[in-house]
Amino acid sequence: MIPQLPAGVDVTLDQLDRDGALREAGSRLPRGRFLGLAAGAAVAFGGLASPARGVTKGDVAILNYALSLEYLQSAFYTETERVAAVKGQAARAARVVGAVERAHVIAFRNLLGRKAIKRPLFDFRGTTEDQQAFLKTAVAFEDLAVAAYKGQAHLIESDAVLAAAVSIHSVEARHAAWVRHLFGIRPAANAFDEGKPRAEIERIVQSTSFVVARSRTRGRGGPRFTG
Amino acid sequence: MASPSASPALAASPAPALRIGQPVRLRAARYLTHWAPVVRSVAARSAPTVTAPTVARLTTQTPEQTANLVLALGRTTDAKGRVWTRVRLPVLPNNTIGWVPRAALGGLSAVRTRLVVDLERLTATLYRGGRRVFRAPVGVGRSQWPTPRGEFYIRNRLSSYRSPFYGPIAFGTSARSAVLTDWPAGGFVGIHGTNRPELLPGRVSHGCIRMRNPDILRLARQLPIGTPLTIR
Repeated sequence: MIPQLPAGVDVTLDQLDRDGALREAGSRLPRGRFLGLAAGAAVAFGGLASPARGVTKGDVAILNYALSLEYLQSAFYTETERVAAVKGQAARAARVVGAVERAHVIAFRNLLGRKAIKRPLFDFRGTTEDQQAFLKTAVAFEDLAVAAYKGQAHLIESDAVLAAAVSIHSVEARHAAWVRHLFGIRPAANAFDEGKPRAEIERIVQSTSFVVARSRTRGRGGPRFTG
Repeated sequence: MASPSASPALAASPAPALRIGQPVRLRAARYLTHWAPVVRSVAARSAPTVTAPTVARLTTQTPEQTANLVLALGRTTDAKGRVWTRVRLPVLPNNTIGWVPRAALGGLSAVRTRLVVDLERLTATLYRGGRRVFRAPVGVGRSQWPTPRGEFYIRNRLSSYRSPFYGPIAFGTSARSAVLTDWPAGGFVGIHGTNRPELLPGRVSHGCIRMRNPDILRLARQLPIGTPLTIR
């Protein structure tokens, strides 16, 4: 039986991570580079030819923002499936949801072409390697995605882009309900959902420190191997 | 109730800008290996608990000032909910394995490659996804400075240097000479080019794995950092 939470409970990374397990102190990473880059990239590439013909600059920024969230989700489920530490129904959810999130990434990249932001590197800090941490984070990610899509709906200029966003939004909501059920909380807690503004989504994602810099594996000095 | 024909026509829904394809399943993980950088100096322990004996201390950098890497071989969660990672270590004795807190490691990366050095046949063979994609003759350690056998990994790549002895590119490995322990920087075994190609294949080195320069350049195009290395 699913434990009942008080009406209106909205699970976010902030609320789930009261113990700080998801975010360690001393982030070693370029905070603000990931989601912040999405808007910058759209502006910087504004003059380039793009497959996203007819899509306004504002919609390109929103599409890149959505792509950044899809990167985050697809990387999370891909790593979970590959590491194979999560078992049972949760593993099945990771497999099924991950396959869908990867399809979303491909669709956004195809639409944006050269305007698409690059895939960042992630460090999920063990949340893909532990059953409870996985479910906790999956709930937060899916709820976050639902709120993010909803939060942008009124800003989308093109009907075609809005139709695309709505078609993904409902899928993310199904994912949210599924992983909430697996985590043991009410799949649909509210009669009405509210969107979240981009700044709030960015703050939540950045607080996790899941976006990291690439490790330096190429050296500049001379070798001192045994020869 | 009004007949359907009396209702005003609703506008058709616009076609979505995105064409979302079928869900994308992952390829089989059979040949995958994960590695991670050490982001916090840490003691590697013989078991996944803070009270287990220390088997090695890990720093965040290699002697070449690159990120220190470990191969992630497994994981477990302790009674307090902390995730521990079982790792292959770049220490003597070779083939040492230990446990480190997951929090001491950075993000996981995956590779599908595997490099095998055969000390009898004097060859290096690279596999990707189980398929052979590269093979070349090599020089290995002389009998007094043998190339160590075991399971290791590629941990860095050096190319911005001028040393004909090492050729154009050198890869650092986690293998260490068991006899040249006082060698500068710890006696790590490298895989590199040479200015004496006529000696290959052969038992000619201090333990390093030498290749002809065209071969090391060809290998470098296909060898990602973190690739497991078997020396047998």
